[in-house]
Amino acid sequence: MTAPPSDPPAPEEPTREDIRRVVASSSLARQLRAARARAKPSGAAPRPRRRAADGVLPELDKLLSRISALYDARGWQAFAFQRTVWAGLAAGRSGLLHAGTGSGKTLAVWLGALQRAAAHPADGLQVLWITPMRALAADTALTLQHTVRDLDIGWEVGLRTSDTGSAERARQSRRLPQALVTTPESLSIMLSHADARERLAGLAAVVVDEWHELIASKRGVQVQLALARLRGWNAGLPVWGLSATLGNPDHAMQVLCGDGGLRVAGEIERPVKLDSLIPPRIERFPWAGHLGVRLLDAVIAELEASRSTLLFTNTRSQAELWYQALLEARPDWAGLIALHHGSLAREVREWVEAGLKDGRLRAVVCTSSLDLGVDFLPVERVLQLGSPKGVARLMQRAGRSGHAPGRTPHATCVPGHGLELIDAAGARRAVAAGRIEPRTAPEAPVDVLAQHLVTLALAGGFDADALRAEVMGCWSYRALDDATWAWTLDFVTRGGAALQAYPDYRKVERGDDGLYRVERADIARRHRMQIGTITADSTVEVRWAKGGKAGGKAGGKTGGAAALAGGRLGQVEESFVGRLRPGDCFLFAGRVLELVAVRDMQALVRAGSASRGTVPRWAGGRMPLSTELADEMRHLVALAAGGEYPEPELQALRPLLELQARWSALPGQDERLVERIASREGHHLFIYPFAGRPVHAGLAALLAWRIARRAPATFSLSFNDYGLELLSARPVDWVAEVAAGLLSEDGLNADIEHCLNAAQLARRRFREIARVAGLTFQGYPGQGKSARQLQVSSELLFDVFTRHDPDNLLLQQARQEALCDELDVARIARTLAELRSATLRLTEPPAMTPFAFPLLVARLRERLSTEQLSERVARMVAQLERACDGVRP
Amino acid sequence: MTEILIAGERLVLLPERALWWPARATLMVADAHIGKGTAFRALGVPVPAGSSDDTLARLAGLLERHAPRRLVFLGDLIHARSAREPGLMQRFAALHSADCDWLLVRGNHDAHAGEPPELALTVVDEPWADGPFALCHHPAPQPGRYVLAGHVHPAVRIEAGGDRLRLPCFAFGEAVGLLPAFGQFTGHADQTPTPGLHLYACAGERVLAVPHSSARRRGRA
Repeated sequence: MTAPPSDPPAPEEPTREDIRRVVASSSLARQLRAARARAKPSGAAPRPRRRAADGVLPELDKLLSRISALYDARGWQAFAFQRTVWAGLAAGRSGLLHAGTGSGKTLAVWLGALQRAAAHPADGLQVLWITPMRALAADTALTLQHTVRDLDIGWEVGLRTSDTGSAERARQSRRLPQALVTTPESLSIMLSHADARERLAGLAAVVVDEWHELIASKRGVQVQLALARLRGWNAGLPVWGLSATLGNPDHAMQVLCGDGGLRVAGEIERPVKLDSLIPPRIERFPWAGHLGVRLLDAVIAELEASRSTLLFTNTRSQAELWYQALLEARPDWAGLIALHHGSLAREVREWVEAGLKDGRLRAVVCTSSLDLGVDFLPVERVLQLGSPKGVARLMQRAGRSGHAPGRTPHATCVPGHGLELIDAAGARRAVAAGRIEPRTAPEAPVDVLAQHLVTLALAGGFDADALRAEVMGCWSYRALDDATWAWTLDFVTRGGAALQAYPDYRKVERGDDGLYRVERADIARRHRMQIGTITADSTVEVRWAKGGKAGGKAGGKTGGAAALAGGRLGQVEESFVGRLRPGDCFLFAGRVLELVAVRDMQALVRAGSASRGTVPRWAGGRMPLSTELADEMRHLVALAAGGEYPEPELQALRPLLELQARWSALPGQDERLVERIASREGHHLFIYPFAGRPVHAGLAALLAWRIARRAPATFSLSFNDYGLELLSARPVDWVAEVAAGLLSEDGLNADIEHCLNAAQLARRRFREIARVAGLTFQGYPGQGKSARQLQVSSELLFDVFTRHDPDNLLLQQARQEALCDELDVARIARTLAELRSATLRLTEPPAMTPFAFPLLVARLRERLSTEQLSERVARMVAQLERACDGVRP
Repeated sequence: MTEILIAGERLVLLPERALWWPARATLMVADAHIGKGTAFRALGVPVPAGSSDDTLARLAGLLERHAPRRLVFLGDLIHARSAREPGLMQRFAALHSADCDWLLVRGNHDAHAGEPPELALTVVDEPWADGPFALCHHPAPQPGRYVLAGHVHPAVRIEAGGDRLRLPCFAFGEAVGLLPAFGQFTGHADQTPTPGLHLYACAGERVLAVPHSSARRRGRA
């Protein structure tokens, strides 16, 4: 391992030829070829081989003896938690089983469900298995099928997701298998058919896999509503959730099972090894380099030491950059390393997953796209590039490694800059102490309810009072008030509240028998199509332009329009493509691509001729730092303030932290640090609440707005996970401002709405809401004329609603989501309260401190292009190094 | 009011997203998409009523202020066949007066929507030659004439001091000039000013020329 030099010389720009060579031989090219070759013969869903599936289970005692024979033959012992689950299911109870990965959760619930089905013989579908990811569904179905085969019972395990082909669907509509693995969306679509009750009322058990992934989302609410319907037909239906370790398992169980659930903890917590890649030398003035890949050499050394490694990044753009950097450093690894993120085409991702399973790949750079999924036995190691941002996330990612016998999960944090070592140490301590983030179900989302009403109106109609009672059985709608219920019913029947009725609108209609139904086939078809797209953001397919290879840079609008769409590369957000013009280059799927044309929700591209492309900045990239991790980090800094450096990461950071203490201060547990520094730029005010970037962004805007309200002033703002900066032409008298109510809770919501452009954020949130509530449609190539007429942007709808129907509850929901989820007002308020109650450490350091420096750089970055920035920052670092004592740490 | 000289003719860009050609006393609007909300509701999408009437009110104000001898719609006047709700068409027709001719240059939506008999419209196909101009819906260049067209719904993003705005705009190139969409319930397509393409943004009460530097910059890699 070589030590990165203190002032890294600018890496030699690779020539265009270098890039071409690397890209042409890169694994992505192979990935695509292999994926295409594979795509033809095998269908989307691996249909389990059918052997005399007569659907008849042996009697319960026979089944039990076969199970124990299977355990004996494998040399397994039934864990106590497995026996608890079996007993619970036998008694018809619902519950939640939570444990780390690889601890036998699936088998525990599956065998329990089989036992219950054997004790209550019936025809038709017996076990419904809901899983959050399509990719997971196929593998789960195989796992379940293997058990069925091993126990030699005549059950068929079916699969129904949006990938399921029409032949399989037709077969299922004639006769459902005994067990069905499906997604929340596909379950909702099943519920929208008139025969849903007949087909689903005889269930012996429902299993919800990876419930922790669903609970906090609208898809989780969709599951709650579907379960309420199933329970309405089958009052005693046992429902079991499987979840990873959560901070609030009781809530998770309450939401899924209602009262009286049985909470079972898997006692086999596998030990997890968490450590950090500590740079041999830590700069005292940390800043996130524009690649963040200064530890490249060290990372390569780690990759060499393991058979197979997953490198997790927090954003898709970071994944693309690391993949490029690794290939440039090790061209001989082309074909042995690969890239995996949610924007890549499904065939490519499947190819990568297959390569991980059979151990062909040495390393895969990935995003949260591989957080979940089947276990890859060969993966020995996980590297987390950049801050893990959350305790549960790091545990989940670590759990993707070390599944081979005799191995333990091992995750190593690779800090993007020195301060991120605190994140890593904090995450490890939180894991050890069992402080995991809680996840809470959403409160009464109107859009999901509106969708559910239409779904049930399709399925033969509903009675309003009966359905309201059923819906209120869901945790998320337990307090559904009359006004909201009446409005939602009005919305799907008349388009809005009574006074706002739209004369020419028809969707759900109330029949003479009092039941609400959808009569029109076109509405039914669009609604079913739409249920499947709840989570999809508005995306554009990236495809090769056929015949678009020639022509160089001049491929303007007219030239591109003639090109035909070729093979699929993946998807990017519409907003990203919207900012590009034909001829612009960008980095995607490990290649430099040039945009040829955009049409019909497709971006046509060809191999780029530029040496470097801009990297797409995807909307979903920003991850907030969790409260649990933030608390742990603040605690570590407080320990350092007392002279304690308990973890290796903190030992490594000691010189930096000591300099911080010498020039300014390290805040103790009940202290908050505020620094005032004057420079040629103006007067800087730095505050370090350690509450995560989104909170600091909100807080910075709020403080600037409140100060400027008292006396007009202009501020430049900067923020990161650790703190925020206000820069102004005149100094801020912090003590006087606080006395005048700077940190007050009075009028907080109103102030935040004013200064944070909450309206703009609400507009953005409205995108998803409009889609869920059936106002907008994803464009499908080849759709009919009527659907094309319906293409409208949610932003435009937001404006029209704001102007002509301002009381619409969907608008209120958008505002609420913007305040709670996007701005996290509750956490801003909590941070303000802490600032009020904590002891103030107000310092006036002689120069930029190690804590202040990253904020300064973040602000400069917004103003300057990258090249100028790196030069300027290098010069500043040199100045600061001269300013301190000159002794190298 | 912003005036420009195109093909030797003086044209006035109106902030109501319309074009005034004083020499011929002609008012031009593009992409009114009347009845779009109605069409949505007819297909089961609950969009509030009122946007078409807002559009008509804006048109009525323009007719009153400028008293044109001719009103030209550069295509996409009615959004769809299902948008031709009788009450709305009657309110539209009421804006017509005997001393002003209405001309519709057929756009892609008009072909599907059909011609509403309530409106006293002369309907023609593009390009419709008029003086130095070719009046069109689609912005394809026409030999020998300067094209005035719609279809694109041009808009421009302006960023300054951390503030961002997206405004409908006029876009005048070398051979083709684009009008903003007149309808209230219409989407937009972003344009970037270049040396050959001049943008004029409709900002409330005024029309502002957009300098090349203040529009959102998109660096080429």
